[in-house]
Amino acid sequence: MAQIEKVKFVWRIVDLVLAGIFIYAGAIKAFDPIRFASDIDNYKILQWTIATGLAFYLPWLEILCGVALIVRRLYLGGLSILTALISIFIIATIAAKVRGLDITCGCFGHASQNWSFPAHLAVDLAILAALLALYFKAASGNRLENAV
Amino acid sequence: MRTRIFAFTLSIFLCAIARAELKWEQTAVELHPTAGDKEAVGHFKYQNTGSQPVRFKSVHTSCGCTVAQSQKEEVPPGEKGEITATFKIGDRTGTQVKNVTVETNDPDHATTVLTLKAVIPQELEINPTFVFWGQGEALKSKSIVVRASKDFPVKQLKVTSSSPDFQTKVEQTGNGQFKIDVQPRETSREIAAKLVIQPEDSPKVFYATARVTNAPAIQ
Amino acid sequence: MRQALILAALALLPGIGQAIYFRDKVSWQSPIPASEMVTVAQARTWDGNAIWVDARPDAEFERDHVPDAVPLNEDRWNELLPQFLVTWSPEKRVVVYCSSQSCNASREVARRLRGEAQLKDVFVLQGGWEEWLKSRK
Repeated sequence: MAQIEKVKFVWRIVDLVLAGIFIYAGAIKAFDPIRFASDIDNYKILQWTIATGLAFYLPWLEILCGVALIVRRLYLGGLSILTALISIFIIATIAAKVRGLDITCGCFGHASQNWSFPAHLAVDLAILAALLALYFKAASGNRLENAV
Repeated sequence: MRTRIFAFTLSIFLCAIARAELKWEQTAVELHPTAGDKEAVGHFKYQNTGSQPVRFKSVHTSCGCTVAQSQKEEVPPGEKGEITATFKIGDRTGTQVKNVTVETNDPDHATTVLTLKAVIPQELEINPTFVFWGQGEALKSKSIVVRASKDFPVKQLKVTSSSPDFQTKVEQTGNGQFKIDVQPRETSREIAAKLVIQPEDSPKVFYATARVTNAPAIQ
Repeated sequence: MRQALILAALALLPGIGQAIYFRDKVSWQSPIPASEMVTVAQARTWDGNAIWVDARPDAEFERDHVPDAVPLNEDRWNELLPQFLVTWSPEKRVVVYCSSQSCNASREVARRLRGEAQLKDVFVLQGGWEEWLKSRK
């Protein structure tokens, strides 16, 4: 029984660490949305209007999903969205590298602008792996509960 | 007859797959010019990986301060080349991002935007660079804060005014941080001075402006 | 899926709230805040209370410029700024222009005037030099 509790504790730590990362990432960008919009616009990937809309919306989505992980309400929804967001970041980072572009407004806005490409990718992949692990654990847990 | 049909089909097929295709080594270049550099030059290398020549229709920049030119007007298949973008730094500061838009006959990538990012070192941050008094305003000194960047340590600062109508006093307030107190002799007439700020042991000079305007003081 | 939709919808609330809060500081049409842009028609009404600043390269200024405009570009910022500041006074509005909307020079010059020289009432001319030319006809 103690072993199960230990495992549950470890998963909870993973929850909290991931939640902290996304709340921090969202907060940095929510603090200065105009700068975030300029970061997105600087690389001329999206139109200014879309960049501005995303700059106001995405940080709050990250924060709310992080909170969902902490309070365990709308938990699976939060995991799904964060998984989708990080997947998009990873695809965009790889695509940019292949095309020779330099996207520095990754997960952490200006805080990660000095990171190298491998560092950025490694962190994003680790986050994705943790999110997927949490998702499948939670989804299989629900199926077991429904079966019982 | 069959041979003709085959040759015709083959030629259509070959036309379909034969294309001009330009592959860029990188489409974004980051430069770190040193203090004193007048220009920063970025090289955007490419190769024609298609089977048709690539023709450059136009190469234009987002700013008059950047000049871009292609080595060749037409790139044969398999050939390499580069577009050179020369950014004139002038008195610009901070991170500058300039775009070079390249138009070619590559059907999949007719327009490519090359990005030149130049991080211009800023030895001194002067805030503000302009202090002023209204006519009749109280004869109080105003301060200019000077911060040296970590990469350019400054032990002492020399400040000279172009006019005796303004007095200056320099005080070190921290490591690489200084306060310049500026005071006019009078505020009853319009006067102005250029303040030359020079770090010790550096040939580079920086400027601030002090002025008594012709407008009455805002009370 | 339902949970994700709920979260996505909930995030719209603070996002929209923040967009409203920043409405004066950001323009959805262009990267320059709405409150810092001015049309030619508006700037003309300021008459003698406006200082026109030409942010284009020297050669373009020499060819033609807004009457009584002062050149101030980043190529010769250190030399031109003191000359401009001698003509400035607090009750005047500064209108910075360059070539057309897509040119960044007027934005940069305006940003530096606000940030470094700490001047208030600095505006960027919507449509730039081209818009001024059209209004002359």
